[in-house]
Amino acid sequence: MNIKKLFMTGVIALSVSALVGCGAAKDEAQQPGASDEKAGAAEQTVTYKVGTEAGFPPFMWMEGTQVVGFEADLLKAIAEGGGFQVDLQNTGWDPLFNGIDTGKIDLGIAAITITEKRKETYDFSEPYFDAKQLILVPKDSTVSKLDDLEGKKVGVQSATTGEAVVQDKFGKTYEGIKGYDDIPAAVDDLLSGRLDAVVADNAVVKKYLEKIGDQGFKQIDDPSFELEQYGLIVKKGNQEVLDKVNAGIKAIKENGKYQEIYNQYFSE
Amino acid sequence: MWDWSVVWDYRELFVRGFFNTILLTSTGVAFGLLIGLFVGLGKMSRNWFVRILSSIYIDVFRGTPLFVQILLIHFAVIPSVFEALNMDIPPAIFSGFVALSLNSGAYIAEIFRAGIQSIDQGQMEAARSLGMNHKQAMYHVIIPQAFKRILPPLGNEFIALLKDSSLLAVIAVNELAYAGFTTAKSTFVRFPPYLSIAVLYLFLTLIFSQVVFWLERRYKTD
Repeated sequence: MNIKKLFMTGVIALSVSALVGCGAAKDEAQQPGASDEKAGAAEQTVTYKVGTEAGFPPFMWMEGTQVVGFEADLLKAIAEGGGFQVDLQNTGWDPLFNGIDTGKIDLGIAAITITEKRKETYDFSEPYFDAKQLILVPKDSTVSKLDDLEGKKVGVQSATTGEAVVQDKFGKTYEGIKGYDDIPAAVDDLLSGRLDAVVADNAVVKKYLEKIGDQGFKQIDDPSFELEQYGLIVKKGNQEVLDKVNAGIKAIKENGKYQEIYNQYFSE
Repeated sequence: MWDWSVVWDYRELFVRGFFNTILLTSTGVAFGLLIGLFVGLGKMSRNWFVRILSSIYIDVFRGTPLFVQILLIHFAVIPSVFEALNMDIPPAIFSGFVALSLNSGAYIAEIFRAGIQSIDQGQMEAARSLGMNHKQAMYHVIIPQAFKRILPPLGNEFIALLKDSSLLAVIAVNELAYAGFTTAKSTFVRFPPYLSIAVLYLFLTLIFSQVVFWLERRYKTD
């Protein structure tokens, strides 16, 4: 009986303290947040949460715990030019779009091609990069154009324009399309010979050629691949963020900062 | 958000995924049963070396996430093994078979061992006193009784493996989960594709638990 009582008292005491603890923690958490907002409003510098997918060199990749790359530097410059601050997070490709939908993040930058289909769901900033698709194949491959991939296993990143061009060519549910979560996994399977080709954005294919070109790979350009442009995305109708981003892009294109960063990553 | 037509547009992925999921799970369990039987008996072996090997196998495969095993087997082990043998590297679905079989083998080994050890010692003694040797007693007396007892946990293992096979989506094996997320990602429509695969998984697990239930009743003697 005594032990039971003691036990019950313990449980009650624990739960009460836990509840109080939670309450206190919440209060504390809210207060600085609230004052931050006030301070932010006063200085007119807001912080936007930015999502990216850091498996896409040279645009974004992880170096240790840091997200680095062309887009990371560009984003910093845009933020400076547009007068806001950014909190960059490696959310991954799909959660990025989800985060924009639910408002968990304000802005997405991840080599996102501006397409009509995506424009139905999201708003894009002014373009900041010209891209196109390329096919990465082993050197001894007989593939010389997109048509030749018929019946072959083609690695792509799910929900990218690389996937779209293969789907448009061979059908949405073509058995040879292997959709990966990120490009490195697809390239890995190309290296081991499980895939016959990988279709991805040109800058990424070029970057991988630098890395694995000596292992006998080459790139193939197909005339049917259209020119693409990358833009930052925001939730549909989020004009406030969009205006600031566009102002930032305009500023760095005018003051030469854009070219400076571009040359750093894409000098021939 | 609720545009169900996307599931119809991508139906081939779902159909293929449905059958691949069944195929992967049944092969996984079939090989898992084989591995499990040997390893389970190995763990009760009188030979200390066999006993230790079996324990290590079980500990490693039960003590690490299946997800990690899939990545390790697909990206590291299989490419290096087949390269060393100078053979073509098999497609991703093969990595899936290997990972699921090895993983379920470890769990099934423990199910077997627990089932056999749960049979009263007296059964073995009685069989031996009737003149059977150890092997005969195992085969005619112990294992048939143990089989009844291991059916429910075996059924659980099958269902768990069916659900876990969804992890193979990460290596682009076209099973059910892959169908769901490929469709959802490409169309930005979320609910219908994910709900569809959830319902299909549920359908499969419900059917299978009915089969196990039926088997249990069939082998019930007392």
